[in-house]
Amino acid sequence: MALDATPRTTVTGRREYGKGKRFDERSFLFFLLAPGILLLLAVVVYPLIRSLVSAFFEESLLYPGMSFVGFQNIADVLANDFGALLNQTLIFTIGTTFFPFVIGMGLALVLNERFRGQRFFRGAFLIPWLIPGVVVSFLWMWIFDANYGVLNGVLTQIGIIDEPIAWLFGVDSARGALIVAKTWNSFPWMMVMLLAGLQTVPGELHEAAAIDGAGPIRRFFTVTWPHLSGIAGLVILLEFIWNFQHFDTIFVLTGGGPAGSTRTFATEVYDTAFKGYDLGHAGALGLLWMGLLMILVVVYVRFSERGSKD
Amino acid sequence: MTVNLNRRDLLRFGAVGFGSLALLGGTAGCATSPVGTATLDPNAAAADFAFASWGMSEDATKPVLLAAANSFAKSEGVAVTTPSYPFNDYLSQMMLQIRGGQFSGAAQLDVAWLSSLAALGKLVDLSSYAEGREYTPAALAAGKNEGKQLGLPWTIAAIGLVTNAELLDKAGASSDPKTIEEFEDNLRALKGIGVIPYAAATKAAGLKDILVWMQTFGSPIVEGGKSALAGDEAIEAVTWYKKLYDEGLISADIDRSAARSLFAQGNAAIYDDAPVGKAGVVSQSPDGGLSDKMMPIARPVLKSGDVPQEVLWGHLVAVVDGAGSQTAAKFAQWLTSDKAQTVDYFTQLGLPPTTAPALSETAGSNDPFLASFTEKITVDAAASPLWPYVSYAQMETAIAEQVQAVLIGQSSPADAMKKASAAVDALI
Amino acid sequence: METTTMVPATALTVEAENADPKSQGRLALSARRKKPFRWALWSTLTVIGLFAFLPIYWLAVTSVTPNDQVFAYPPSLVPTEVTFEHYVSVFANPAIFGYLKNSIIVSVVTAVLSVVVSMYMGYAFSKFRFRGRKSLMYFVLSSQMFPQALLLVTLYVVFAQFGLLNTYQALIISFTTFTLPLCVWMLKGFFDALPDDLIEAAKIDGAGPWRTFHSVILPLALPGLVAAGLFAFVRGWNDFMFALTLAGPEKQTLPPGLVNTFIFEASAAWPALMAASLLVSAPVCIAFIFLQRFLVGGITAGAVKG
Repeated sequence: MALDATPRTTVTGRREYGKGKRFDERSFLFFLLAPGILLLLAVVVYPLIRSLVSAFFEESLLYPGMSFVGFQNIADVLANDFGALLNQTLIFTIGTTFFPFVIGMGLALVLNERFRGQRFFRGAFLIPWLIPGVVVSFLWMWIFDANYGVLNGVLTQIGIIDEPIAWLFGVDSARGALIVAKTWNSFPWMMVMLLAGLQTVPGELHEAAAIDGAGPIRRFFTVTWPHLSGIAGLVILLEFIWNFQHFDTIFVLTGGGPAGSTRTFATEVYDTAFKGYDLGHAGALGLLWMGLLMILVVVYVRFSERGSKD
Repeated sequence: MTVNLNRRDLLRFGAVGFGSLALLGGTAGCATSPVGTATLDPNAAAADFAFASWGMSEDATKPVLLAAANSFAKSEGVAVTTPSYPFNDYLSQMMLQIRGGQFSGAAQLDVAWLSSLAALGKLVDLSSYAEGREYTPAALAAGKNEGKQLGLPWTIAAIGLVTNAELLDKAGASSDPKTIEEFEDNLRALKGIGVIPYAAATKAAGLKDILVWMQTFGSPIVEGGKSALAGDEAIEAVTWYKKLYDEGLISADIDRSAARSLFAQGNAAIYDDAPVGKAGVVSQSPDGGLSDKMMPIARPVLKSGDVPQEVLWGHLVAVVDGAGSQTAAKFAQWLTSDKAQTVDYFTQLGLPPTTAPALSETAGSNDPFLASFTEKITVDAAASPLWPYVSYAQMETAIAEQVQAVLIGQSSPADAMKKASAAVDALI
Repeated sequence: METTTMVPATALTVEAENADPKSQGRLALSARRKKPFRWALWSTLTVIGLFAFLPIYWLAVTSVTPNDQVFAYPPSLVPTEVTFEHYVSVFANPAIFGYLKNSIIVSVVTAVLSVVVSMYMGYAFSKFRFRGRKSLMYFVLSSQMFPQALLLVTLYVVFAQFGLLNTYQALIISFTTFTLPLCVWMLKGFFDALPDDLIEAAKIDGAGPWRTFHSVILPLALPGLVAAGLFAFVRGWNDFMFALTLAGPEKQTLPPGLVNTFIFEASAAWPALMAASLLVSAPVCIAFIFLQRFLVGGITAGAVKG
């Protein structure tokens, strides 16, 4: 099915086709795009503009009415430990993107091999992804609990630690615990996407490289990675955006603690809007958040576009 | 702080410290609510309404609440819907629902939430429904906001120290420590027998419990419309808490739920709870005799002779204006003050009633735990000074965060409390 | 492999099988592989397997532990006393099955709708060149960059105005929108891999663009559609905050439903929560174990471009 159709030829083909500006083709294009655009406008763009407007007003969740305050909200947010918040958000986001990717990749490489039980494992490893996320958070809270958690129980019994460790009560261990829990929940989908990517690597190329005497590691970088980089880039990008956004695990597992060391933009926005009822400052946080994310993503896209020849 | 009624009177009348309750009704310093309160047409015909509660989603309370709602619905010939949300999400969900005009009817509220919800301007003034129902004045005060009766008191008690008498005995600890020093000696003795002496809150969600210790050390928390958290008393309280933590007298990663579990296992000797928690603790305990070993004690004081500081705990029923709100108000009145109903509620769930007749009916109940809890703790209970503020929930978060910073050694008590104080001031 | 393009509607299974012939080379190769390689394979599998399955084991153990032993410390890794009372209580609670029903309705409809909307959009991005195409593509991708907690506040009001609160529609509309970036990108990649000659040929045969898409392109894209649908399903299946807020108590899906049922004000029914989670996740897990070949096979074709 033309898996390896070279981009060049298809691009010319498409151009020719797209230039046929017959009326029915234009309306067909409109029809194709309309439903998606409509949904995005209603569910994302309108609420987004509405919230961004709030960033410049004093507005409460509790009562109607708003008064213009200019850049005051943004200044407040920047003055209030913004650096720490950004740092913590990046730690969480990078950790929960990197580890699922590494695990997903390792697993995809293994499960791309032929062996007895391969099909079973491909399915079984999906389970952590299919248990509802909020249950996953409670499960890990249960495991990490300082006073009756099974992790402490096991580590004490096999003699690695003498005293139970309060995992969720130390800055580093709480951050680590969050990354572990989120990684557990999301590595399977990384695995699936990367496994799919691996299927597109033509076996003959491996064969040829092997005959040329390339070892597995060199084969991975010279043969596999070029075919995989497209999908790997996409999953990393999406996972990064989602994790920047991620709320459930942090909310349940640490509640932003200890001492606010695991607060991220997502929990801060939630607290400001739903506990402080302050839509103005929440909007300002959202505005800064989006600005930052945009910069990161543009840099990433530029970088990855330069990397690929397409 | 407690006023010039004698103890016996207090006990009879719902047993809540009056003086500080005025805080709730009187000085909502941040009263920015531009909207008034709704009034009801008392002649409206009975209509269907909704009764929102988190109790409807908890195993223990659900059947009792459902039966109550159904029996009222039957006698009035109306239908009652019973939406419910998990406790942790309840307030924000109700806010959205009410703000969006999606909810009207009766709603269960924690006493701490009244001012936040009142700010929406949709709660009905229930003064006329409170008249002649013999609610105790203290209980009524808990449902007042800016002078209006926005909630009818359903159950009122306090959060106090509960001990495991057997463990105290085993450790040779006093069963009635009067001062903080004696209390500390107790904790050290308990540590000697290998249990967590005091399962005090250390998780962000539970650290609001430290406020009452700050009050014990003499901090007013809020004074003259400004945070007093940066004051010496509050700093001293946090320093003391940190000392307990460093000595292993209190433990990491504990909130109310963890404390109950540890206590139920016999792994913790003392913890903070409202009387309502007892049933849950006993049911999850492998020790069948735990119920008899649970003993409430008055919170120790700084100097012997001081009045113990205790924080109020309770539920209100408020009515949100809209379709069926008149019948909902009638329901709220019936639910909280009908003698048979409130006595039944008490009998089934151990939640103390709020009207004089129901209190006297249940006073002779055979629950020594509750009687002792009322006498030692509830009598001195007062509303938290932060409750009148609309952003109270976020204030708690800010304070909890800074106290945690001290506990994990990231910040000194003085620095942390300065920060917490600034955060609270910004929210006032 | 060009032959696939000749196979119309039955492409589903054919595609999935087709993923394999490619690996013949690899198969031959692996026969020549040496012991260390096998060892690396199994040790990777073991390490990740422990990480993946030990928590599930603990979930299962907790679900059969009697209430008065749940908080015992140190916990015993092998249950000393097994009870099925929690499963019985879950089965006795009709609300759980109500949540399950809601979850399945919401997730399935979300999956179908996501696939429909994103196949059109993905096709437009793949086979058409128009002004603003690139910006629109990045717009779709970036639509998830804004805090959803804030979107929720406004969406709540919007849905209230349209009378959509406390309905399945509110959830389905939101989740569908949130799945668009992934699904559009996946399907665009899939369509990219289909040669343009197909379209040209259909055009010469006199088929309009509408018919070309629906009767020539779509059948070939079926594996990709199934894969995209499965991803969209999981999005609807997992969400907590939107489901809690927009669906109302009647239409609550499993995540808020489970929390509502088992996590209390100051205690939690851990064993019952675990039992219920296992029970309700089991059918989906089993379905996905069978469907995983489509999941992988379906993305594969589009994977080249990513």
